[in-house]
Amino acid sequence: MKLLEMNNIERYYKTPAGVVKALDGINLEIHEGERVILLGPSGSGKTTLLNCLSALDSPTQGSYLFQESEVPRKHSEKMTTFRRNNIGYVFQFFNLLQDLTVLENILLIQELAGKKDAERAKDLLELVGLEAEVNRFPGEISGGQQQRVAIARSIAKRPTLLLGDELTGNLDTETSNKVMEALVHACERENITAVFVTHDEGLARFATRVIRIDSGRIISDESVNNSDEEA
Amino acid sequence: MSILLNKRLARSLWRTKLRLVAVVLMVFVGVFAGITFGGYSQSLDNMYDTLQGDSEDGGNLADLWLDNRSAVWTPEQVSSFCNDLSAGWENSSAELMSLDSCEGRTILQGALFHNDSSGERIINSLWHGIPADANADRVWLPEGYSEGRTAVADDEIVIDAHVAEVLEIKLGNTVRIGAGGDSGNFTVVGIGFHPLHVMMAPEGTLFPPEIGEFVVGYLSDSGMARLTGESLGSSNTIVLEIDGTPSFDLPTTAVYEGDEIDAVKAMVGTSMDENNIDARVRDRGQNEPIEIMRQDLEGSKRTTVPFTVMIAVIASITIVLSLQRLVQSQSREIAVLRTLGVDRTSLMTGYLMAPLFIGAIGCGLGALAGPSGMNGMLDFYQDLVGIPIVDRAVPISVYTTVIGLTMLVVFLSGAFPAWKASRLEPLEILGGHSEMRIGSNFLKTLTAWMPTTLGLSIRSSFRKPIRLMMTFIAVGISLMLFGSIQMMSAGLEETLVGGLEEQQSWDQQVYIMPEGESGVIDWANQNNASFELIIETQLGILVDGDGVDRIFTLVGLDSYEQNTGMRSVDIVEGTTPSLNPVITEVIMDEGAMAFLSWKVGEQHQVLLNGDEHDVEIIGSSRGEMARTMYFLRSDLSDIVGVNATSVYLDLPDGVEVDNELGELSAGIVGRQTLLDGIESILEQQTQIFQSMMYLGLMFTVVVMFNTMVMNVAERDFELATLRVLGASIKSLGLMLLFESLMIGLLGGLVGVLFAYGGAVGSAASFSTWQFHVPVVLVPSVAYQLMGGVLAIAVAMTPIGVWRIHRMDLIEKIKDLSN
Repeated sequence: MKLLEMNNIERYYKTPAGVVKALDGINLEIHEGERVILLGPSGSGKTTLLNCLSALDSPTQGSYLFQESEVPRKHSEKMTTFRRNNIGYVFQFFNLLQDLTVLENILLIQELAGKKDAERAKDLLELVGLEAEVNRFPGEISGGQQQRVAIARSIAKRPTLLLGDELTGNLDTETSNKVMEALVHACERENITAVFVTHDEGLARFATRVIRIDSGRIISDESVNNSDEEA
Repeated sequence: MSILLNKRLARSLWRTKLRLVAVVLMVFVGVFAGITFGGYSQSLDNMYDTLQGDSEDGGNLADLWLDNRSAVWTPEQVSSFCNDLSAGWENSSAELMSLDSCEGRTILQGALFHNDSSGERIINSLWHGIPADANADRVWLPEGYSEGRTAVADDEIVIDAHVAEVLEIKLGNTVRIGAGGDSGNFTVVGIGFHPLHVMMAPEGTLFPPEIGEFVVGYLSDSGMARLTGESLGSSNTIVLEIDGTPSFDLPTTAVYEGDEIDAVKAMVGTSMDENNIDARVRDRGQNEPIEIMRQDLEGSKRTTVPFTVMIAVIASITIVLSLQRLVQSQSREIAVLRTLGVDRTSLMTGYLMAPLFIGAIGCGLGALAGPSGMNGMLDFYQDLVGIPIVDRAVPISVYTTVIGLTMLVVFLSGAFPAWKASRLEPLEILGGHSEMRIGSNFLKTLTAWMPTTLGLSIRSSFRKPIRLMMTFIAVGISLMLFGSIQMMSAGLEETLVGGLEEQQSWDQQVYIMPEGESGVIDWANQNNASFELIIETQLGILVDGDGVDRIFTLVGLDSYEQNTGMRSVDIVEGTTPSLNPVITEVIMDEGAMAFLSWKVGEQHQVLLNGDEHDVEIIGSSRGEMARTMYFLRSDLSDIVGVNATSVYLDLPDGVEVDNELGELSAGIVGRQTLLDGIESILEQQTQIFQSMMYLGLMFTVVVMFNTMVMNVAERDFELATLRVLGASIKSLGLMLLFESLMIGLLGGLVGVLFAYGGAVGSAASFSTWQFHVPVVLVPSVAYQLMGGVLAIAVAMTPIGVWRIHRMDLIEKIKDLSN
């Protein structure tokens, strides 16, 4: 079932050097349950695309339908509400709140979304293998563990779409694999569609689809069969 | 290289213009206030020098006064006393300054029968008889601020300039004046000042009534003789002027300075005995109007340094916090520079120079504006006190002290952040290790039960406890400036005005000459007015713990039971005096009790009307500015030998003070006039400090603003993360509001504590034997202070919300991902 659809999306930026086309006619459909990886060199427009997908940024032109409804643009609070109701986000540097414990970081997001559920928060921490760390502060656990908390946090409010920008960019290979495994596991259990931006071709094995972008255009879009790895 | 580094720092600072302006403003205000107060007190000093000094231009304030208002000394008696004193002086083995003059005077309480548009008014007055060739205590006629000349003929009078304008008395007018049954017409030949009457308060009270409700006039000696019917040269006061000013004890200091004047007093005592002169002997420290003004001047001088330092400390805290925040926000940049090989000294130099540069701008502006502030304060003081302040200047020493002190504080404030900047470890910063913090377990436990958003607000507020503490200290000091004066004024008003308003029911107090009460009683009976006799006289002397003579007021009332007399006393401890005890029972005011460390139930020996008496302190009272001992009137009457010194009258509707009563009296004071006077002087005193109070308020705003903006700025990443994750502005705004409320509540509480501490400290430093300042915590003032800080804190929330609103999430996401 189609989750979102982008038609002829363009995003221009006016700079002193002239107009920069960050996205130049993107046409994209993503279906429920897919795990999409966006690959591309620096400046290719993948982060801009992620920002438009999350309604952090508004396209200059084109249409963006999410569950068949037009995604709000140019209106900060409506865009925030859209994110709150639909989007989960994982950052490269985790961005956990250091004054809150691991569990509280998840509870906070639930509370802000009006869906506080401590049991679910603990369950998610168990899902990402951190049930023993619930009362510790982020500063007391490793980077990989922090990223797993960030994943649990991002799915705690049951988003439809999970986005991640270089979410393993700050981790070593072994830890990256553990994080991605936790992510895949969580997405499958929660039936969450995911889109990740990365430079790391190796992460393609955790995706069901790989989209390559360059100069603001999609240059390839391939489905991936990862049944071997997942098995 | 270091020039480029400094340029980089300057540009970074320029990006925080608002904070930069706030810091410059604070330094400016500190220097401005220091120069204003310093110049102000120096100019007041000059004014007193001119008014009191031993010069031909001024009023030449006497050094010693002998007076007895119920006595009349003949010219021969005075002359003999002065000759004996002079002879004793020459033969004395003590090293004394030379005696300049010894002069007899008559000073009498009386009334001015003043006609204006509403008819004739009887105004409480004091009349001096001053010989034309007087040396000491002369009328002062400063050029440009006075008119006419001194009185010479027996029908001439000089009216004090404080009241001439408001009563519309001009040169050439004829005024009718009275003193204890005698009256006469006098022509006004001058309008001038007198060194004893800088503050226009009637004798025995420290509060001047409203302008025009108390008149002082200066007759010639022949004019006084004509008014009283006594022979020319008869006196009730002798003034001694000594070349130079012999040291006298300053009641405000712990040490005793009165050795020089004591040697003079010993000789005076001998001459008094030889000539049968019975009088009260007072030096400048014991002469209340003089001492109060000296203390006022001392207070102005004393407050200069602490106020400047307090303002400098607030500025310093703001500088430290702002620079630290700057260093923190530039830590990556500094780390990169260090990695590129920039040495620590080069980095540190810029961070050390920045506050000096900011300080120099603030100091320059403050130095330029300071003289205007001084003139403003002097103009206000001149209007308030009514004495012209001609010689105005800010001494160079004030400029150098204030600027030097401020620059030192500014430099020290910059030193720590500069040192911190130079000590940043590139590896730690670039590796991101320095950004990792571990939350507080204590706060976690404390807030675990709360909703997470609330808990986060609390934990965020206390994330930087040192900064929060410094903010609270700065807010506390700011509110000390603002609140302590307010608290003192409110406390004074509640005790003094409240006592006079609620515990006294008389309308008019009619002063009488000895045995003069019967005429007033007859008048009261004829007019169906209730009356009550009272004795009120300054004939009490006691020796304090340091062996210094302290003069106090004796008050005799018929009853101390509530609602039975026209004047009731607010007894805070103990009970009321009973009739015919073995030892005279008295109540002493709490100011005297505190000063002397006396306790209720103790017995003490005091000098009453010149004789030693034992008294038992059976109670302590509140509400008196002057040190007062209360007796039953019958007990006090036996001691001082008069039935009454004044009569309280409670007038029925439609009955007013008339000419007949005026002629019978030695002055009449209305209770409402007294109340208006006290309220007016308290208001004026508060006005003097009002600029300081508003400075305090402004500082509170700036300090709170600085901290709140830093709190929000520092949490940019945190707030951006929450925004990306879907937190609405409303929910984040609520979090910030709660944080503001909490900081405001705590800040307000700290502010109230500081203000109370400041009020207690100021009251202690202002309190002397003459002038006791009770500090009563008036809840409304405390609520006002707390409410003020809370309102300021809450008012800062929209700034945070606005910041979140205009946050560029795309840029933040870039930061979050890089």
